[in-house]
Amino acid sequence: MIPPTDEQAIELLKGAVAIDSPSRQERPVAEFLAARMRECGWASRIDDAGNAVGERRGPAADAPGRTLVMLGHMDTAPGKVPVRTEGDLLYGRGAVDAKGPLCAFIAGGARAELPPGSRLIVVGAVEEESATSKGARFAATQYQPDACLIGEPSGWDAVTLGYKGRLLCEYTAEQDSGHTAGPEAPVAHRAVDWINAVRAYGEQFNEGRTRLFDQLMVGVRDIRTSSDGLADRVEVSMGFRLPPKFEIDAFEAFVRDAAPGAKVSFRGREVAWEDTRSSAAARALVRAIREEGGSPSYKLKTGTADLNVVGPVWKCPIVAYGPGDSRLDHTPNEHISLAEYLRSILVVARAVEGLLGAG
Amino acid sequence: MATVECTECGAEIEAADNVINGEILPCPSCGAEMEVTSTKPLKVELAPEVREDWGE
Repeated sequence: MIPPTDEQAIELLKGAVAIDSPSRQERPVAEFLAARMRECGWASRIDDAGNAVGERRGPAADAPGRTLVMLGHMDTAPGKVPVRTEGDLLYGRGAVDAKGPLCAFIAGGARAELPPGSRLIVVGAVEEESATSKGARFAATQYQPDACLIGEPSGWDAVTLGYKGRLLCEYTAEQDSGHTAGPEAPVAHRAVDWINAVRAYGEQFNEGRTRLFDQLMVGVRDIRTSSDGLADRVEVSMGFRLPPKFEIDAFEAFVRDAAPGAKVSFRGREVAWEDTRSSAAARALVRAIREEGGSPSYKLKTGTADLNVVGPVWKCPIVAYGPGDSRLDHTPNEHISLAEYLRSILVVARAVEGLLGAG
Repeated sequence: MATVECTECGAEIEAADNVINGEILPCPSCGAEMEVTSTKPLKVELAPEVREDWGE
């Protein structure tokens, strides 16, 4: 191994952020990351899903040791943020969400000392920002780790224990065109009534639930009306953030029943998933953060991540970690502190050693 | 291996010798999560609520 220096780790991140990589256009950044991984000693490749994958093994042993997968993502939300460095801050789309965490995994994983028989895998997944999560779904079939770290911005001194589930819904209603001064209500009114019924369901479900993580969050993402002069049409896109153990099938049935005469379809279903503060993954990170002089804290996120994809499959200790302020995700002002990034690399190296070590 | 009393139910909680401040120890009896606030002597308090945060 040729563990990267701080300067090389910063150049790794800057290089990754400088390459535009919206979902389904990740190949250039995948090739960049695979090459940089090889330079610091990872055995790297691009897998059949397009993920950039690096692997390291500890010294040979009589019996297999533990396997740790660090799953980050290479794709970004849309929107170009001019890439630049201002003092300690690196600006660019993906600096926080989530090339910072992914590069911290690559650099920190390269620095970790691996015990005999152990296996460390880092995956830069494709399409995390897309409802498909193609990269994570493929990775879920390729490995069965003893623990997993998900690369998302928790802050260098915090651990994210879980993410809400998600469901996306498309509604379409049509009716014969009519005069705006005529007796028939516009088609858009049907959509409004449907939206209000779904929102009322959410409000009733949320009564008594004070934690956001336990609530059903209902959001209208888009409403579009159109007409060709003969038929008027309304289309609605909605997104739901789901709490743990939510009865998704029953909810879908309600949403359909609330839309008589309209077409309703669903996609992007992910269940909520969370680990506990006493899990091996959380404990290894907390210990590492303390050893690097931090005061660790824990978070639950209202968003959805690849943790929701692989968590139910692998059913192993799994938390998310990475530098950066997630409030900057998807914003025009996305940026990351390079000092925080370097600190997180030290945490990752220690956490890897803790998770792969004996005991 | 050291032990400490759960502040919620009084049951005995075991802690590894290398336990550190801030580590979470679940009570095997009532399930409450205890945070280590001192290692020498070993002391715990009910762990604070996990914070909620937006986004990913």
